[in-house]
Amino acid sequence: MSASPSYGSRPWTFYVLAALFTLFVIFLYGPMIAVLILSFQGPSASLVFPLRDPSLMWFHELFSPRRTGDVAGAFNRSLPLALIVMFLTVLISVTAGFAFRRRFRGSTAIFYMAIASLIVPGLVLSIGILVTFRYLGLTASWWGSALGAHLSWALPFGLLIMFAVLGRLNPSYEEAAHDLGASRWQTVKDVVVPIVFPGMIAVALFGFTLSYDEFPRSWLTVGTKNTLPLEIWTMTTNVTSPALYALGTVTTIVSFAVIALALSSILIIQRKRSRGK
Amino acid sequence: MMANPNLQGTSVAAQPGSGEIRLVNVTKQFGNSYAVKDINLTIPHGSYCCLLGPSGCGKTTILRMIAGHETPTSGEIYIGDQMVVGKPPVERGTAMMFQSYALFPHLTIQDNVAFYLKMRGVGKEERRQRALEMLQRVQLDHLKDRMPAQLSGGQQQRVALARSLITNPKVLLLDEPLSALDEFLRLKMRGELKSLQNELGITFVHVTHTQPEAIALADMVVVMDTGRIDQADTANIIFDKPKTPYVARFMGGQNVLTGTVEKSGNGVLKLKAADGSIYETAHAASSAAAGSPLSVAVRRDRVSLKKGRGNGVNAVNSIAGIVDATEYQGSYVKVTINVASDVFVANVSDSAYFAEPVDTGDPVVANWKAEDVHVLSKVDSGVAADHGH
Repeated sequence: MSASPSYGSRPWTFYVLAALFTLFVIFLYGPMIAVLILSFQGPSASLVFPLRDPSLMWFHELFSPRRTGDVAGAFNRSLPLALIVMFLTVLISVTAGFAFRRRFRGSTAIFYMAIASLIVPGLVLSIGILVTFRYLGLTASWWGSALGAHLSWALPFGLLIMFAVLGRLNPSYEEAAHDLGASRWQTVKDVVVPIVFPGMIAVALFGFTLSYDEFPRSWLTVGTKNTLPLEIWTMTTNVTSPALYALGTVTTIVSFAVIALALSSILIIQRKRSRGK
Repeated sequence: MMANPNLQGTSVAAQPGSGEIRLVNVTKQFGNSYAVKDINLTIPHGSYCCLLGPSGCGKTTILRMIAGHETPTSGEIYIGDQMVVGKPPVERGTAMMFQSYALFPHLTIQDNVAFYLKMRGVGKEERRQRALEMLQRVQLDHLKDRMPAQLSGGQQQRVALARSLITNPKVLLLDEPLSALDEFLRLKMRGELKSLQNELGITFVHVTHTQPEAIALADMVVVMDTGRIDQADTANIIFDKPKTPYVARFMGGQNVLTGTVEKSGNGVLKLKAADGSIYETAHAASSAAAGSPLSVAVRRDRVSLKKGRGNGVNAVNSIAGIVDATEYQGSYVKVTINVASDVFVANVSDSAYFAEPVDTGDPVVANWKAEDVHVLSKVDSGVAADHGH
């Protein structure tokens, strides 16, 4: 009897890889889920499982500066900072992307310099910025030195995305627009920007999340008032209540909300294009 | 294809005048290399002109310079009596259809067609109405709300045509318009392009690398070789009486033979090839000095074949060789013959072929008449790739 013919049954490697992937997912989301659950801890204030008398008390606690530090204040700095970084990253990446489409003198050097800031350790950069600000007699602040530090991190990502997006943009779209009487500005406004808009959303997403989560580059550059990651770090050293978990849950939800917003707007645009209005 | 040829009715700005295109000493350099060099060409108003050549010959560069998407390094381009170098496409009265059609992916096809009107500040209602009328003319009005990605290749091409024609051009420029279509659609759209041009009466300039396409469509075929125009003539002359060995080989359908002039005069030229073969023409337009090298061409379908090795003596206007391959083409059979240092092709009618079939490896002798020998203006400089069909 010869071997029975195979009709696409799965090889054993499938099950090995599936198991591996399951482990990976558990490792990735398990801690997050544990934090999420424990943030609903009851008055026992235990930092470990089991969960007893679930309540929202630690979320209330979170917003009373008396015990947990200035979380609300930190959030009120981190959010605008992330939004400013997002806006500037999109603006600079898109315009730089256009400039880099027509190769100019020194464009390669500028590109590598921008990418190099990804390699510089964030803490070192943070120290460097602080020292430079001191030397120039400037005060470090979240809207000044920290903004610059965050841009040095978010911009290279934005640039790389825009290069990929604009690299795939067929130049004949612009030529067709020119052929049909569009001015340069009309071509950008009515043809190029709408076509690359999903890419711009991706850049915005990177700009926002990279800034919102950034610790090393914020460390010495925010001045006297902490951003959210720094505040959380401070809390881990002196707060020993589930309020810490509540904070983790809230910040994660904000991040997820931003990502969901961005992805759904990309999806809506793509659906509109493939299905018609 | 178009029910109503009166496209002038939708004119935004009247563009009177002729769609004659004149290129005077036009050169385009990219860095140190010439895309085209010192081109002179006049395309008559209302003609269908095909720029034909292999990739890299400069045909697309010429099209793009006429369109205004490329600026010549030197020389002048006239459309009608207007010198257009430096002017934007809309002022030239040209419209270009791109190879990939370049339909804007974020706009419905109606808004694609209306784009030109939008750029001119025409109100939303009016431009949509006029775009719809244009879509009706290409019979796509029922798809007006679709996005370009949802259309087939042929439909996309019609949208691209409608989008170009709404500008009411004097000259329509088409960059390899049929290359993205499958064979069946290609032939169909080819016919539609030709009848559209007949109806509109405007100048069409069509870039292609496909010989049958050029011959089928064009009133005027411009054959190009690396940056130069080799010959610009009617399709019939290009195919039947190529000027140069390059054109003869590129168009296919011809065998190029080279020898030394033995005798010249009274319309008769006698040529002796390197292997001793004698070629004779019946009515050469020009004469040549004895002893000078000369190339001639013989149409593949004017050659008859006989099985056998010949009689050892070099007969006039004949060549002996071994059959390398036979290809059945329906109405004729393409027989490729290995001769001394080259290949020789005979397109034998199917009836003649099946009366006396030959097969790979058979020795054959090809014969032709002196009237069918056509003198070329240049000496063949080498064997080019066989583009034959």
